[in-house]
Amino acid sequence: MRIGSVLLLIAAADLARPADLRVTVVDHADQPVADAVVYAVPSNPPPHNEVHKASIDQVHRQFVPRVSVVQAATAITFPNSDNIRHSVYSFSHAKTFTLKLYSGTPANPVLFDQPGIVVLGCNIHDAMVAWVLVVDTPYFTRTAADGTATLAGLPGGDYQLRAWNNSMADEQAGEALHIGAEAPGLRQLHVDGQQLAAHP
Amino acid sequence: MRLNTLRSKMVVFLVALLGVVQIGVFTLVNSSTTRAARIKIDDELEVGEKVFASELKENDERLAQAASVLASDFAFREAIATGDSATMDSALENHGARVKAAAVLFVNLQGMVVDDTIRGAAEPRRFELGALIDRAKSAGQATAIGLIDDRVLQLVAVPVQAPLTIGWIVVGFPVDQMLATNLRNLTGLQVSFVTEQEGRWTLLASTLTPELSRVLLSTLPPFAQAMSTRVLAMPEQHQLRVVPLGESGARHFVAVLQRPINDAMGSFRNLSAKMIALGLFSLLLSIGGSIVIAVGITRPLDALLQAVRRIRRGDYSVPIEIHRGDEIGILAQGLDHMRAGIAEREQRILKLAYEDSLTRLPNRSQFGERLQREILQAADRHGSLAVFVMDLDRFKYVNDNLGHSVGDHLLIEVAVRLRNLLRDGDGVARLGGDEFAVLVPTAEEQRVTELAKSIIEALERPFDYEGQPLDVGASIGIALYPAHGADAQALLRNADIAMYVAKRTRSGFTVYDPHYDTSQQEHLSLIGELRRAVERNELRLFYQPKVTLNSIGVHSAEALIRWVHPVRGMMPPNLFIPFAEHTGYIKVLTRWVLSEAIRQCGAWLQQGMHVEISVNLSARDLSARDLPELISGLLAEHRVPAEMICLEITESGFMEDPAFAQRVLDRLSAIGLRLSIDDYGTGYSSLSYIMKLPVNELKIDRAFVSNMSEDADMMTIVRSTIELGHNLGLRVVAEGIEDSKAFALLRGLGCDVAQGYYISPPMAAEALPGWLNGSVNVRRLPEIPADDVLAAVS
Repeated sequence: MRIGSVLLLIAAADLARPADLRVTVVDHADQPVADAVVYAVPSNPPPHNEVHKASIDQVHRQFVPRVSVVQAATAITFPNSDNIRHSVYSFSHAKTFTLKLYSGTPANPVLFDQPGIVVLGCNIHDAMVAWVLVVDTPYFTRTAADGTATLAGLPGGDYQLRAWNNSMADEQAGEALHIGAEAPGLRQLHVDGQQLAAHP
Repeated sequence: MRLNTLRSKMVVFLVALLGVVQIGVFTLVNSSTTRAARIKIDDELEVGEKVFASELKENDERLAQAASVLASDFAFREAIATGDSATMDSALENHGARVKAAAVLFVNLQGMVVDDTIRGAAEPRRFELGALIDRAKSAGQATAIGLIDDRVLQLVAVPVQAPLTIGWIVVGFPVDQMLATNLRNLTGLQVSFVTEQEGRWTLLASTLTPELSRVLLSTLPPFAQAMSTRVLAMPEQHQLRVVPLGESGARHFVAVLQRPINDAMGSFRNLSAKMIALGLFSLLLSIGGSIVIAVGITRPLDALLQAVRRIRRGDYSVPIEIHRGDEIGILAQGLDHMRAGIAEREQRILKLAYEDSLTRLPNRSQFGERLQREILQAADRHGSLAVFVMDLDRFKYVNDNLGHSVGDHLLIEVAVRLRNLLRDGDGVARLGGDEFAVLVPTAEEQRVTELAKSIIEALERPFDYEGQPLDVGASIGIALYPAHGADAQALLRNADIAMYVAKRTRSGFTVYDPHYDTSQQEHLSLIGELRRAVERNELRLFYQPKVTLNSIGVHSAEALIRWVHPVRGMMPPNLFIPFAEHTGYIKVLTRWVLSEAIRQCGAWLQQGMHVEISVNLSARDLSARDLPELISGLLAEHRVPAEMICLEITESGFMEDPAFAQRVLDRLSAIGLRLSIDDYGTGYSSLSYIMKLPVNELKIDRAFVSNMSEDADMMTIVRSTIELGHNLGLRVVAEGIEDSKAFALLRGLGCDVAQGYYISPPMAAEALPGWLNGSVNVRRLPEIPADDVLAAVS
């Protein structure tokens, strides 16, 4: 996987107290990329002592939202808002599962406990695609239209700072981020391309 | 059937015409149907090519669809997306088998073959047909013919979506016999899948027979040319289309669609077979028909031809019986009229040609033909026959003196008498003039002799003309078959010769003797020699003295011709004079004799010898109009008085044409020449006639003189002749005196002049003066008193 060179502009960091990190994401043409996921994975990930909850709906033969970012150990429910039945599956290594044809909301949510990229599809409707980025960190956000995002409340420590959008089949190795005493400076991240269209 | 006959010409023409037309039609049909067949095949190929293309496309789509279905199978995708290599392998295997794929490959997004049913999950390797994947990326799916692990496959690439594309399934289907057969069934064309590499063609599958497939591979030109190849001889003509299917590196894949031209020609073959059969049938029909027509025309023509041939042969008896309404019938009718006309006219002409109009006897031509026929018949039965040729004596006299009507009457009477003498089977003809011929169908001597005698007798009987008796006689020459000649011409000629002999010898009739003919032959050879004799001066005149009996003196001599032949020696006149008379050469001889005699007379006169010279003239000499002038000239030239020359003319010499003879004699006499009647007593000249002639002398024939000593009748004739001569005022000469007795008797009878061997044989001119001077043979003659002699014989 190619990774663009990463320029890190680190502001002064104070180890003692959490800091906010501002990041801009650009593509190869240095154009800001909107809706890209920016996340920082700490060197020592916190234990999964609680299960988060999330939901990906199916509306008008589309997954809603198409791109989700969840922390590892998130139980995602797949309610079916359509009046037709869907069969949601994933062959991704991070989470492989199949929901047999169903309508309404299945009884059991699907637990996404491994970090990684999970591509969801419907076995009945090939056009339905959704991405779930499972990250092993609570610090993630998404860029705004101008490609900027802020990771707020990063405790001091070392991180791998990564950006991703759904045009990328794999996660970046990321770049090192140290939150120290001084406040971190603005960081610019590169992604491979634009966010895939919501409606292909 | 000969080729130049009308019939064969017609048949050949009609058949050739029909043949040409048929060949033309056949060629036309053949060429147009061949062209049509080619166009048809071309059309079929074009259609077939389109069908083939659409079928191939459809096949592609079907395969692609199958591959798509396979690729979208959830379990398959799950196996591919999540499974280990063994699972993936078995999934490829399993699902490939479902769609009857020959090979299934999974190519990942990096273009690497991750797994396939050929090698299993080995080391990933680059997929060779990257272009196929590229096309599939943009089109969602792609197909191609390609080579996978040395196998030619129809490949379909479809994405594997999980749900994003995680790679490509490439499904390979065999390009095999079944495909070819299916396509053949759809297109109606032979389908072959072949591949070319470096100009060498390899067969993948074909609906052709293995043999033809091999031929196809060996005859297909290299790829570039093959694309535009339309016709291939393998060895039958095939029309074809080469459809490119794809290529792999330097290797080309093509489909060959073809159809043998003969296939399309099948229906034409049928047609042409029918046409040939029909052509042969109509040819036979036309041959038959034209023969029938030709025969219909030529059979009557043949009949006409036969008739014409008959007419040409002279057979006019068979009428031409062709009754038809057409031109040939009219022609036949016309020809028949012509035949009848010719027959009639021929009869008339034959009558004219073969019959003597005066006597109604057959003429010379008919007699000759009949004689020839009789000779042939006689030859067949080994028989014999006799031919008489007769000539009337004194006929010319009758004709000239009494008129032609009397002559004609005489001839008619002769014919009647001859007819009366003949038996059945005998034939009589008038050969011309006063010449008649008789054919006796036997050579038996008695019969021939009797008939000859009876004819002579019959013709000697006087003929009566208006109460006036006419005396004629006949001389007959007889030739016998086979003794005297093998054909009519020879027999007639020999009979003619015999007749002349008879006439000369006055024997009535004479049977031919070969001796006559040899003398005749000698004569023929003599004519040339005789002619030369004059030129070479071989002729001599001998002179026989004539003595006067009353005074025993010589005052005249008869000039006798002799021929001193260089080979035969001295030739007596009887050996060549008759011949000369016969040929007319006598005139030349007579001129020579006259010239020589008068010259000699003149010469003697100069010597003082007065010798009167007698010269013999023949009847023919008399007919020369210039004779008097000739003699006058000679006399003047040699200064000889006319009375010194005496011309002796035989009685028969002027009896042939007495009137003319008289005129000539009158002219000769007018010159002053002396004239003598030679051989008097043998002819039939009447005294009244002789009295009219201006003659001076009578010469008693030697036959009487030499026999009178023994024969009292002869004596009487001699005596009365002497008396007669004297009474007429003529000098009487006796010749042929051979002994003293005759000499004495003649002297006693008062004969004026004597001549003969007893007195002197003829002698050369040089000897005569001597004989006259000293030779006194005459004087030595016994002086026998005439009375004694007369007494002795009486």
